[in-house]
Amino acid sequence: MLPEWTSKLKFLFIGKSRRDVDDEIQFHIERQIEANLAEGMSIDEARLQANITFGGRQRTREQCREERPSFPIESLARDLRYGMRGLLRNPGFACVAVLTIALAIGANSAIFSLLNQALIRALPVRDPDQLVVLSYAGGHPGHTQSSGGNTPGHAHEFSYPMYRDLLEKNTVFNGLIAASPATVGLVWNNHAEAVPAAVVSGNYFETLGVLPAVGRLFLASDETAEGANAVAVLSFDYWKTHLGEAPVVGKELLINGTAFTVVGVSAPGFHSTVWGQMPGVFLPITMQRVVQPDRAYLKDHQSYWLDLVGRLKSGLSPSQAALALNALFIDLRKAEFPNLRDHSERERKGFIDNAHINVDAGAQGFSPLRDQIQTPLKIIMGMALLVIAMAVVNVATLLLVRAATRVREFSMRYALGATSGQIVRQLLAEGILLGIFGAAIGLAFTPEALRLLIHWMSGSFASQPAFSASLDYRVVLFTIAATLVASLFFSLAPAVQFWNPRLSDALRQQSGTGIGGLLRFRRTCVALQIGFSLLLIVAAGLFVQTIRNLRNVDPGFETDNLLSFSIAPQMAGYSQSAVTPVEQRIVDTLAALPGVRSVGATNDPELVDDDINGDVIVTGYTPKPDEEYDVELPWVSNGYLQTLGVPLIAGRLFNLSDTATSQKVAIVNESFAKHFFGTPQAALGRHLSRPHRPATDSAIVGVVKDVKHVTVRFPAIPTAYTLFSQAEKPTGLTYYVRTWQNPLTAQNGIRSAIGNIDSTLIIDGLSTLNDDIDNNILAERTIALLASTFGAIAATLAGIGLYGILAYSTAQRTREIGIRMALGARRNTVVGLILREVVILVAWAVGISIPIALLAARAIRSQLFGVSSADPIVYILAMLAIGTVATGAAVVPSRRAATTDPARALRSD
Amino acid sequence: MLILKAIAGEPQHGWAIAQRIQLVSRNVLQVGQGSLYPALHRLEYKGWIRAQWGASENNRRARFYSITAAGRKQLDAELENWLRLTSAVNLVLEGI
Repeated sequence: MLPEWTSKLKFLFIGKSRRDVDDEIQFHIERQIEANLAEGMSIDEARLQANITFGGRQRTREQCREERPSFPIESLARDLRYGMRGLLRNPGFACVAVLTIALAIGANSAIFSLLNQALIRALPVRDPDQLVVLSYAGGHPGHTQSSGGNTPGHAHEFSYPMYRDLLEKNTVFNGLIAASPATVGLVWNNHAEAVPAAVVSGNYFETLGVLPAVGRLFLASDETAEGANAVAVLSFDYWKTHLGEAPVVGKELLINGTAFTVVGVSAPGFHSTVWGQMPGVFLPITMQRVVQPDRAYLKDHQSYWLDLVGRLKSGLSPSQAALALNALFIDLRKAEFPNLRDHSERERKGFIDNAHINVDAGAQGFSPLRDQIQTPLKIIMGMALLVIAMAVVNVATLLLVRAATRVREFSMRYALGATSGQIVRQLLAEGILLGIFGAAIGLAFTPEALRLLIHWMSGSFASQPAFSASLDYRVVLFTIAATLVASLFFSLAPAVQFWNPRLSDALRQQSGTGIGGLLRFRRTCVALQIGFSLLLIVAAGLFVQTIRNLRNVDPGFETDNLLSFSIAPQMAGYSQSAVTPVEQRIVDTLAALPGVRSVGATNDPELVDDDINGDVIVTGYTPKPDEEYDVELPWVSNGYLQTLGVPLIAGRLFNLSDTATSQKVAIVNESFAKHFFGTPQAALGRHLSRPHRPATDSAIVGVVKDVKHVTVRFPAIPTAYTLFSQAEKPTGLTYYVRTWQNPLTAQNGIRSAIGNIDSTLIIDGLSTLNDDIDNNILAERTIALLASTFGAIAATLAGIGLYGILAYSTAQRTREIGIRMALGARRNTVVGLILREVVILVAWAVGISIPIALLAARAIRSQLFGVSSADPIVYILAMLAIGTVATGAAVVPSRRAATTDPARALRSD
Repeated sequence: MLILKAIAGEPQHGWAIAQRIQLVSRNVLQVGQGSLYPALHRLEYKGWIRAQWGASENNRRARFYSITAAGRKQLDAELENWLRLTSAVNLVLEGI
């Protein structure tokens, strides 16, 4: 077999020349003539006999050519060349078709690229298939620091002691790593900024198989003792974009005021085991205290903060590993249990009996961001596929129109002996040519479209987006596959028509009332297009409505003229005791700035998906058995509620008499009061505290109205505000500045005022609250924008398709219309005739696609806000839009029909 | 198979191959002279035979075909197949 292939390959390139074949045949015949002469024939007789025995020379020549290995390629090339000529002969058609395909392919490739990056691509590490993500079921009393992504039975955060035990005692991993995200203040060359960071175990890079770009990465020796490993690794992107690839190894930088030595830079492309997190700097886990000065996590069994990823020993499946690991996990938990505060049977059940560890395949890493965006991405991908279906149908219609005008050409070719296969091959070649050109143009624009999209999706976030605008081989493969499938479909549509046309019929079909089957087929195409575009328009309508609703949500306080930013003095190296005084100074200084109405601060920023919650003990309230009622627990400044403008219902707001040393006070919201006391008035004078923390005991002095907190999507939650100056420990704050005028004009004043207090303080994320809210609904906004774009494209395509078929069918019916008019039909009647056709077509399409739309809309229900998936207004508007497009498309052909001159129409053809 | 066998001994040109097959089969098998060439070319493309220009017996330029190693293997395989088939057919014929 192999020599056969190599031989064929050889001849593919060399081939035999025509002359060689001719010479060979010539020799043969001459030799035959000689032989005949030898038998005693006359010269003429000999020649004649030789030619007869040989048979047709031309035929032999052709057969020899067909034997050439390159013959199929040659004929394909001929088809393509011919197809090319055909397309060039009709450049308008070719342009429209190519652009339609380019648009559809470009959109699909871009969206697929996002989908690929978020859902398909594995982490850029060694053997990602061996990686597993650990999570567990069971209670976790104590403090949990989560970046999201947990589902019931799958908590992803482990304590450091648990991690060490699992690391040292497990028998299933070739490495188990731990990491936790954080934000740190980083000073390099006297320039300070807030940088996303990751606190990682010493074996992190080694286990993942990530190599250094410069210097070295962490080793197990970088995880020796608490506070002893002041070394840092920079991520490649951060090093490149923020440090200009400066020589860094061995240099010092400040992290939250502590000096760290840079030992290296990680390889380009690697960001984190958590997709979506883009740490700029990696720090050893033992330096946790520097990163979060207010928390001591390392020795605490009840602080849950580390994401664990393991590399399975080869041959082990995740479920086998889970089985082996579970016994160890339960034993460790049993050992921990006596140290818990609560030793009740119920606690025991939740902590030990119901606990188990999960080992899940983790080639793509664990990712809260992925969980969040996968549904929107899939919806958008679905819409993009609808667009490509539309494009296919559209090009098919165009090709059909063209094919109809080529009936004579094809009939002629049949008559000259072409087989059906050859004709179909020719049509396919033309279609694939169109597809290739379209796809090439589409793909060329994909990176640009992607960049735009990513820019759009990341909004005004300062941080680096998790997506990149580069295309990998999967995207290219997807594009090629999509192109081939699409080309096949639209080029076969006319091919079906020409599979076996009855020659005489075809030749007779020069005029008349249109080709029945062909017309029906094209009507179906147009109906399909109308259906598809209706689906897309309905989706667009639902999402636009969602955005409007989200924008119009009243959070319960005035969001205009409100500026927010965060400052964590710890990032500038402030000691714990110095934090609260400087924060108080910041609040006072800002309040005195010109143009500033008031200033408030909180550790729990509003409407940005953040929450800080826990359970509370309330005097005079007996919890129901098994009641777990978590409330939001922000620590705020004195003027916070006044600055936001949260209305007071009972009692008083915080005021200057509430100081660090006076009676601790709390203000609760309506939901809180209702749950614990029934009425706002009953709340006044009661006390609340955190379980096991008597120092948190505060008297409730006021009740305020509910405001939305986590996001505008969620209803208000029960909340107890306390003062940060009376809190157990200092923490970084987010400041809200209410200005008289445009809040952005106050920016510079604020920056310089804070610079005057201390130039090392890092101001993070200075923006207006309205922008924050906009960013918070970015996913919805992106979907709405894309859905609207796709809807508009779809409607346009459907319009073009409808126009095409109407223009064609009225042109075909010129004679019929002429007769009608000659018999006395009026112009209006003729217009009505055409319009009736449109109305029937549209009614059919709409009637069939509305139920499909209703079903499909259920799939996107989770992404909607304040609008039912069967919202009648959206559907009616969508139908109106389609109706308008259809009427628009019908106007020109129907008017042309109405102006038909009967005499001329009858004479034509 | 016949062509392969015809040139198995020594290189031959097309006309000689046709003559030989005709002669050896005592005129029972008449290879269509015209269709001989496409067949020869096919075999050449498959790498079973090799073609070279050479001088014919009366000193004219002719294309000589010779069998290659791969061709020989193919010939053996086909011969074996053929023998198996004919002997089986013979057996059946005798059995009936």
